[in-house]
Amino acid sequence: MVRHDVVVVGAGLAGMRAAIEASRYGVDVAVVSKLHPTRSHSGAAEGGINAALGNAGEDSPENHTFFTVKGSDYLGDQDAIAVMCEEGPGDIYELEHMGAIFSRTEDGRIAQRPFGAGGAPRTCYAADITGHVLLHVLYEQLVKSGVTVYEEWFALDLVTDGERCVGLTAWDLLHGGVQGVQARAVIMATGGLGRIYRGTTNAYACTGDGMSMAWRAGVPLKDMEFMQFHPTTLKANGVLITEGARGEGGYLRNAEGERFMYNYAPNAGELASRDVVSRSEQTEIDEGRGVDGCILLDLTHLGAKRIMERLHGSRELAMDYAGVDPIEEPIPVRPGSHYHMGGIDADVDGRTIMPGLYAAGECACVSVHGANRLGGNSLLETVVFGRRAGAAAAQEVRSNGRGGVFSPSAVRVAEKSIRELLYNFDGVRPAVLRTELADTMYEDAGIFRTAEKLEACKATIEDLRERYAAGVIIQDKSTTFNSDLVQAIELGSMLEMADCLVTGAVARTESRGAHSRLDYPERDDENWLRHTMTFYDDGRARLDYKPVTITEYQPAVRTY
Amino acid sequence: MEVTLQIQRYQPDDDESRLDSFTVDAPETATLLDVLDQIKDEQDGSLSYRKSCRMAVCGSCGMRMDGAAVLACKTSMAPLVEEGRTPVISPMGNLPVIKDLVVDMEPFWGKFRAVQPWLEEDGDPPVKEWRVQQQELDRIFKEALCIQCGCCVSECNSMEADPDFLGPAALAKAARFVGDARDRGRMKRLQMANGAHGVWDCTRCYFCNERCPKGVDPRDAIAKIGGEIYAEGMLSDKGARHAQVFDFSSHATGYLLETALVPYTDPMKALDVKFALKMVRAGKAPNPVKPHRAKKLGEVRALSKLVKEQEKQDLADKRKGVTTDRENES
Amino acid sequence: MKSSYAYYPGCLASLSQKELDVSTRAVAERLGFSLVEIPGFTCCGAGDVHEARPEYSVHLNARILGQAEQLEQDTIMTICNVCTLNLRQANHKLREDADLLARVNANLAEVGAATYSGGVEVRHLLWEIAEGEGYEKLKEVAERPLTGVRIAPFYGCQILRPSKLLGFEDPDRPQSLERIITACGAEPVDYPSKIKCCGFPIVLAREEVALGELIQPLAEARAAGADAMVTPCPLCHLSLDAWQGKAAREADIDFDMPIVHLAQLIGAAAGLSYDELLFKRHLVRTDRLTDKIYAETSI
Repeated sequence: MVRHDVVVVGAGLAGMRAAIEASRYGVDVAVVSKLHPTRSHSGAAEGGINAALGNAGEDSPENHTFFTVKGSDYLGDQDAIAVMCEEGPGDIYELEHMGAIFSRTEDGRIAQRPFGAGGAPRTCYAADITGHVLLHVLYEQLVKSGVTVYEEWFALDLVTDGERCVGLTAWDLLHGGVQGVQARAVIMATGGLGRIYRGTTNAYACTGDGMSMAWRAGVPLKDMEFMQFHPTTLKANGVLITEGARGEGGYLRNAEGERFMYNYAPNAGELASRDVVSRSEQTEIDEGRGVDGCILLDLTHLGAKRIMERLHGSRELAMDYAGVDPIEEPIPVRPGSHYHMGGIDADVDGRTIMPGLYAAGECACVSVHGANRLGGNSLLETVVFGRRAGAAAAQEVRSNGRGGVFSPSAVRVAEKSIRELLYNFDGVRPAVLRTELADTMYEDAGIFRTAEKLEACKATIEDLRERYAAGVIIQDKSTTFNSDLVQAIELGSMLEMADCLVTGAVARTESRGAHSRLDYPERDDENWLRHTMTFYDDGRARLDYKPVTITEYQPAVRTY
Repeated sequence: MEVTLQIQRYQPDDDESRLDSFTVDAPETATLLDVLDQIKDEQDGSLSYRKSCRMAVCGSCGMRMDGAAVLACKTSMAPLVEEGRTPVISPMGNLPVIKDLVVDMEPFWGKFRAVQPWLEEDGDPPVKEWRVQQQELDRIFKEALCIQCGCCVSECNSMEADPDFLGPAALAKAARFVGDARDRGRMKRLQMANGAHGVWDCTRCYFCNERCPKGVDPRDAIAKIGGEIYAEGMLSDKGARHAQVFDFSSHATGYLLETALVPYTDPMKALDVKFALKMVRAGKAPNPVKPHRAKKLGEVRALSKLVKEQEKQDLADKRKGVTTDRENES
Repeated sequence: MKSSYAYYPGCLASLSQKELDVSTRAVAERLGFSLVEIPGFTCCGAGDVHEARPEYSVHLNARILGQAEQLEQDTIMTICNVCTLNLRQANHKLREDADLLARVNANLAEVGAATYSGGVEVRHLLWEIAEGEGYEKLKEVAERPLTGVRIAPFYGCQILRPSKLLGFEDPDRPQSLERIITACGAEPVDYPSKIKCCGFPIVLAREEVALGELIQPLAEARAAGADAMVTPCPLCHLSLDAWQGKAAREADIDFDMPIVHLAQLIGAAAGLSYDELLFKRHLVRTDRLTDKIYAETSI
């Protein structure tokens, strides 16, 4: 059993930023992460981070707020979006002072480029490895801060005293054994769940564990049905090619060589919002104007110099995973599941309905992305709300000295369930269920949805959950680095989160942002301008709804 | 395509490792990581290795293929199948093996922490960003590409002989800050890198450059630090003095002054009479009185002097770092 | 293979490793190419100047490249790994970066040295005879096959890595030395550390570390039953030969491993004598090898 004031679960950008901020308040902070911090998926973010610095032309936080609201298809909470957009510039400057090597303008300021549906060149970037640069900068600061890091500790369950969160249990992957982690405040920063889909841009680690933990502990999840499909991912393995490729002037072409985006978004073209571009691409492919299930991302006209300077990493990815040198020929790409807008319901300080439990980053839903996230806003979200959650948790600890009681039985319960998992000798290998899940999500809960497909998907998930509950076979029985065990536990979270996602999607009988229902093609503000809230009800997803916060901008028709 | 791997297996209680052979039917596009996943899912769930991003950015899946460190996710299997190879997959070198392909990274991170890898400030930063020219940042771009996968460390020949050597990854990290015009810890870093297990331990085998999956070129990064140490006139280490003899002799006689190399680098070694006599007997001892001299020496002397002036200017710029007015904007 | 090369023996072959220079010249004659002297060449600066004074290092090497150009030679032949890498490294930089080339040339002109336009290739002797016409010629001149002799190739580092600057062959599975050993009628001996470091660059500054590196190839070659090791680099040679005694004491193994230069091996196969190839200039006696080679001809 270890004890700390604030424990952050997850060590990507949001988690590390939260830990660094909390440690500034002089409280005892620890990070629990199933990966070493620099292995986190934030590092795979490529294109950039938005903030209205105005370095590349007129811009303002208000402008940023408006385009984010519009991009969210008016489902984002406008007060939260305003906080992010107003505080964003300060966070960018801080990252720069920490040493982030943002690309520069001629006069040495942070360069900014346009991203889809942003309305201004607002995306700051470090070539096309922005996430990598920021992840390593924050890790440097984490090391400097002296925060304790429990690396390769896999978080199992939140522990409560019936009222407040008092810590969690975790499996020590390297040495084996369940560890109790007592905390006066816990911040969830565990990232997304992209792995429930086939062909995702997400890392293997993105299995929705944190969301699942919170949900099981009684904290509602919000807007779970909204899954973003990124327009440019590689066919073979879903690897992301940055939106920056289009920001730098790249074209999308169909089999006939036509820049088809202007047929769908007459003004913005390739730089329409991601939901619009992905749907357009899929339509082209479905109507027979694709190339081997893909459309073409053409950068050849940008020239070798620009590609090498600004899109060096993307070129390498295209060469490694598609066998294509974008200087010479277009890259075949397709839409792929990328970012989950929904998550643990949290306010602008990361607070959840459970005292002592906070959430930030992709696992949270502060509701700044609504129904569709703008490119460049997710990195911003991690640092703004990571910082705010870290500060709020530390302040709470300082002002409220008393934590709850961490019952030792929590560890025994976790140990028992691990034993049961390990010593089951009947059933299928987890990979079988995982593959079936990823397939049904891709086929039936993808870019275009219908009641029929979603119902079928839900039935499949229910079947998978039953088979999982009946027991899966873990072949590795050892206590040292048992990734077979961990992957089986992750599968449990994936199944639960897929269930929540699809349950929300079945119910939402409208099309909004990334949730596109062929049977309900219109946005329906009268009935659906509201957040889906998903509660844990004896293992099932129970839905409720809550209103969207609208301040400045009344919902309007969304065109690009 | 049919892919066969021989995988080195090891469990903490085993006396020694063994090789297991696995064959899978993998898609043409499969990487080494894809094949390992297929084996784990379909044949042996106990096979252990690290992975996460599968796009060569998280640095989890460093391992050896036929003795050479690679990222499993960046290694395409089709060419090997074409060549008819059945590669041996083993854990990275220079790090303790925990289980199968999983190594203990703690020694690696210990060295990372030892170089104090964060930007040092003095006083408050500017209100907005530091004004830095792109060319300034380009100087550290390669080092900033590092994903800390450990492939360089795995193959470091010096570290095999001196496990305490800071090594290519940690020193490349140090170089990333030494070269950052915003950093205020330059002298501290140079002193640290000039220590007993610092840059002068590097044997220039270039395995790090060869293995790095991200093009960091750690050896070049080490050389950058060595160059700055030398430029600062920090000649306390034998390695720096060794370099000084090469520098000096290149324009003093045009040829390496072998007679000066030993006594100047390490005076104690010059007392190794037995060794010296052996060299004399083989005819390998140079004439200390009348050294070999290059023709047109004047050119090189003038060249060295001229470039030295330019180097001084460069050093002054580096010492100064970013000089932005802190109140540049409000 | 070309009919003539600008010849860059470097420091070591001009000084303590004279036997390398002498045997290279002798072998060149047999193989039928001429070596054009570069008047006034200097040391390439090795990894030391490259590290300590990178700017000066580029100048030093640009001057040598320029001198070769002045001789109207388009290829420099090197016989040392370190020289090969240094010259090629500088050449690469100068060709890639027009601003650098201009800056360097301005400085070279100011001191009255030859300037460089970028038109010279740098090739190691090994590469010239491991394939193509050079290899055919080698087989022709190897009139005294070294039958029954087992040779361990030792590549060293800077002829293989970094491969993006050297790039003659697969740096992990090189075959050039093996081909040459075979062409000479001898039998190549395989062992893992043939591509690893000999420790030379740090043998004075970090002797213990260097010896740790040196022991490995010596021990492996010994265990593999080699009669001798052959290397394309005079620095590897010096390390393997002159420091072998210390390595033997450190490892407590009597290696008794003759170390020969590439040119000596070819020379022996081409019928050159023990004296012509200056085998006597080695610290480790070469008897174990040379007795086999010169068994029939009295020496």
